[in-house]
Amino acid sequence: MNLASLLSKDRIILSLKPGKKNKVIEDLVYTIKQGADAELIVSTLLKREELGSTGIGKAIAIPHCRSLAVDKLEIAVGRTTKPIKFNAIDKKPVSLIFLIIAPPQDPGNQYLITLGKIVQIAKELIKKKLIGKAQTPEEFITLIDQVEKGLKKGK
Amino acid sequence: MSTEIVEMHLKLLFDLDNLLNDMDEPAYKKIGFKVEEKEKQSLIKTRTDLLKKLPRATADIYERLKKRYQRAIAPVDNGFCFGCFQRLPIQLLARSEEIITCPNCGRILYWRKK
Repeated sequence: MNLASLLSKDRIILSLKPGKKNKVIEDLVYTIKQGADAELIVSTLLKREELGSTGIGKAIAIPHCRSLAVDKLEIAVGRTTKPIKFNAIDKKPVSLIFLIIAPPQDPGNQYLITLGKIVQIAKELIKKKLIGKAQTPEEFITLIDQVEKGLKKGK
Repeated sequence: MSTEIVEMHLKLLFDLDNLLNDMDEPAYKKIGFKVEEKEKQSLIKTRTDLLKKLPRATADIYERLKKRYQRAIAPVDNGFCFGCFQRLPIQLLARSEEIITCPNCGRILYWRKK
């Protein structure tokens, strides 16, 4: 399973309107679900943020949770046009957000594996200064694919 | 309390429990996300408050199932309980608007909105 194959271009927003952390999370969730399901997911994601920010530093955040509202692993990506406050680990603002929602029943623990993989890829994007590189969702998916393949080769 | 409110509280409770379970998973800890112990305790209190909002019988069933299976609620997909993977009787499917349990494993069933 590779990360690029889990990304969908209609769930990648590369010109996300900057705003409060909660609003940005909400905007990304709405690319996946609407209505009461979206409200439930947002509520759980915000509870997760209360436990400690998922801003891993260097402008990247990875909000995540499991929810009954989804039947498979769903990922949305947002890049804000201006960095936003996210109470990240390094106290710096965030501009790239990977949002992950997994179903409660998750054969093979794909959720935690994917979460770990995203952290690894995100760190690579930071290291190689690639956060702002992609201009379209298609380019973003290609970029993630290349970074992932590069990581595999490096092993 | 209306069925909708009970269902909403149950879903939130279940998602909170999954959040708390994941925090204790070695694989999750290894990824390295920051988790504040004080906030975790506050979330446990939120969970307790949420449980108190449920009718006593529902809360008892939920807690009993959680103790037994870790996950007390199972989604229904294509007529199957996704907790025990048994096909559900058709009569049960016709009652999908109610909060009901799987006749095989006893988990609380949840029909996703399509």
